[in-house]
Amino acid sequence: MVFTSVNFILFFAAVIVLYFSAPLKWRWLVLLVASYFFYINIKPVFAILLAAVTASTYVFTRLMDQTRKESRKNVYKVINIILVLLPLFFFKYFAVINNSLIAGLQGWGIHWPLPEIELFLPVGISFYTFMAIGYTIDVFNEETPAEKHPGIVALFISFFPLILSGPIERAGNMLPQFRNPVNPDYDKVVKGLRFMLWGFFMKLVVADRIGIYVDAVYHNIPNHNGTTLLAAFFLYPFQVYADLGGYSLVAIGVAGILGIKVMDNFRRPFFAATMAEFWRRWHMSLITWLTDYVYTPISFALRQYKLWGIVYSLMITFMISGIWHAASLTFVAWGLLQGIYLSVEALTNKQRANMEKKYKLANRGWYIFLSCLITFILFGISQVFARSANLQDAFQVLGKIVTEPGALFIGAPSILIFSILGISMVMLKDFTDEYYPGRFLLFENRNKPVRVMAYSLVIVLILLIGVFDGGEFIYFQF
Amino acid sequence: MAGSLFIFNSDGMLKKLFINFLLVAAVVAVLDFALGKVLRHFYFRESSGLHYRTTYSMEKADADILIFGSSRANHHYVPEVFADSLGLTFYNTGRDGNGIFYQAALLKSVLKRYTPKVIILDYAGDFGKGRQVYDNLSSLLPYYQSHPEIRQEVNLRSPYESVKLLSGIYPYNSQLLTIAVGNLDMNKKRKSDNKGYVPLETEHPVVKEYFNSLIQQPVDSNKIESLREFVRVAKASGTRFVVVYSPLYQEHKRYWEIEICETICKEAGVPFWDYSRDSFFVQQPDLYYDPVHLNHKGALIFSKQIASRMRDVLH
Amino acid sequence: MERATVIEQLTPVFRKIFNAPELEITDEMTANDVEGWDSLSHMLLIADVETAFSIKFKLKELNKMRNVGDMIEIILSKA
Repeated sequence: MVFTSVNFILFFAAVIVLYFSAPLKWRWLVLLVASYFFYINIKPVFAILLAAVTASTYVFTRLMDQTRKESRKNVYKVINIILVLLPLFFFKYFAVINNSLIAGLQGWGIHWPLPEIELFLPVGISFYTFMAIGYTIDVFNEETPAEKHPGIVALFISFFPLILSGPIERAGNMLPQFRNPVNPDYDKVVKGLRFMLWGFFMKLVVADRIGIYVDAVYHNIPNHNGTTLLAAFFLYPFQVYADLGGYSLVAIGVAGILGIKVMDNFRRPFFAATMAEFWRRWHMSLITWLTDYVYTPISFALRQYKLWGIVYSLMITFMISGIWHAASLTFVAWGLLQGIYLSVEALTNKQRANMEKKYKLANRGWYIFLSCLITFILFGISQVFARSANLQDAFQVLGKIVTEPGALFIGAPSILIFSILGISMVMLKDFTDEYYPGRFLLFENRNKPVRVMAYSLVIVLILLIGVFDGGEFIYFQF
Repeated sequence: MAGSLFIFNSDGMLKKLFINFLLVAAVVAVLDFALGKVLRHFYFRESSGLHYRTTYSMEKADADILIFGSSRANHHYVPEVFADSLGLTFYNTGRDGNGIFYQAALLKSVLKRYTPKVIILDYAGDFGKGRQVYDNLSSLLPYYQSHPEIRQEVNLRSPYESVKLLSGIYPYNSQLLTIAVGNLDMNKKRKSDNKGYVPLETEHPVVKEYFNSLIQQPVDSNKIESLREFVRVAKASGTRFVVVYSPLYQEHKRYWEIEICETICKEAGVPFWDYSRDSFFVQQPDLYYDPVHLNHKGALIFSKQIASRMRDVLH
Repeated sequence: MERATVIEQLTPVFRKIFNAPELEITDEMTANDVEGWDSLSHMLLIADVETAFSIKFKLKELNKMRNVGDMIEIILSKA
């Protein structure tokens, strides 16, 4: 069930009642049962896979803790990582590799009797696999001791607010909270509710509305001119932010109401002046995961190559990030672009810093705005690849934007009008949070009437212009 | 501390939450009620456009001949042709994107008021598992409270639809601008209609083909039942009732969909006029706006054929 | 090696990597305190520190370095 469904609200209400009625020492069980219920509701057979990944991780982390020898520990670590990655590879990449192989062989005139496969991706597999791997590596590095209680490990990997699309959390943060559950105080519950409300707003009012336009355009690229494609170009990053960002907020809010603190996933990403900063604000749980478990080990191994070692590590890390999103060339291209952006920035770091010092640009409003705009455009270019069905489409979109201006496709005017209204509201909030923190507060205003009106108006807006017909969340296929 | 029901050792937290919840809910309810009333007032005051035509179809249409269906009904049946040919009044209730559920609901509303002499159902043929037909039931939400006869269809949209419809605003979700524009005089010109019929321009680029899959898709039993219901209700009203499958640019390959309709019509003893593979219309680009819709020129020709067949039936 | 010596040798490395000729390092200093110290420049710093002290860090040690003070301790244990 998606977060933005009546079924989920009912489910969550039931969980709250059961959770807080249970004695503290059984709370983990309530959450575990709820999480498996939640997951089984989506597709029962994949719950077996989830349990298998959990079992393997539990066994090998315990083994690691009981071994003195470093080399033995390493073997256990590697075995579990491979075991846990196998289903991910199989479901995500096997179909692509298999079908490419068949196509390739056919090109050579060989007709190999391999079946062409259409596989359903187990929901959330990319997320819980990463959480399991992170935990495995943390135990190896002695960052956290292996959890003895299998139920707690099972809960960590299956925790329902996080399982479908993150944030990708760490064992070090979650295990202690599951071991020793606390009752949230009033402020924490209200904060959680606020996150849920704003998350629903972002998803239903902004993301799903923009999605209607962007889907229509990308569905029919050959028949749309450059101006229309440009509009979709500018809209799509906002859609993804509102979608994944909104969904993350709901996840964090849900966990918060249960008294569990989960990391932030987005921090006003469109106010980043460089791509490096962008990646410290966008999908933070994924990027910190990749940094800690992929980038750092690789760049450490290559540190004697200085800047070129960094460039290489960046490219590899973001390629992995790309294919983690999807088994397609478009996401390889996406990853490649991110790697290139960051590498170019790293290589020109000194020059830019000197230029900024020389012309005293750092605090000029127009310079900051320009930097943010350029960063947005760079990200937007990479997102064209993410959104396109294949490389040809992506290149066609980018080409037409430059070469084929024309009349803007509007379709139904309300779509664009509501989209722009929604984006403005989200950006206004982010703008004030970024540059005037603590001021212009609505949800957090000191005056109760202001707060109550703010909550009510947001709810009314959702009723008025939210999209209620199954706008499916983008990251579900991950 | 034995972690018992923490509400009993809370510092009145649950009570505080409950009261604040109630407070916000009360404010929302008031806003919802007020805004709902405003939206309802302006929705039913619209004088042109899709909302107006649906309202007219449900509450005012009294023509001798009514055509029901989706965009294919809306753009294929020209009122003047039927009026001239048969000397009967005509109204086209077809509406883009709205499938059999909408049509069945509309039929019930109409029959509550009067029985037309002739009812034509332009059968759209979609029995797949697609959600669009359910989603487009949103066209009927504003009528839910005042038209109990359509509730069966509207409730198909989701198990919680009746709960959502307690909200005053929800029926008008996403329609704010459309309602505003529908109240403007200038919209009458922009969305002019001729007894419900909307002509599709004849000047149009090359009609492209569409993917016409031979692979049988799983069918949605709700849709089949709804068609059965439509046929049953129409037949029972005593009107002259005909089901038509209007032309397609490409010869239709989804034979199983036609078969379902043929069977239902045969069981009920209702004539089914199938133009899906009609040699006159297939592959005639100057008669089509797109692979599944005739343009005005094609609609005129098609309407004449249907009208003349109708004349034989009526005499 | 003495602590003071480590700090003396470490400071010019920091100054060079972060382009801050006036920078003074302290035990509590972390990446948040220095402009331009991020995961990208961190590895450059580590490489230069290793060269300066003729030592080799282990990845595990890197993960345990919470601040400059930790770094100094690890250097002391190796030099």
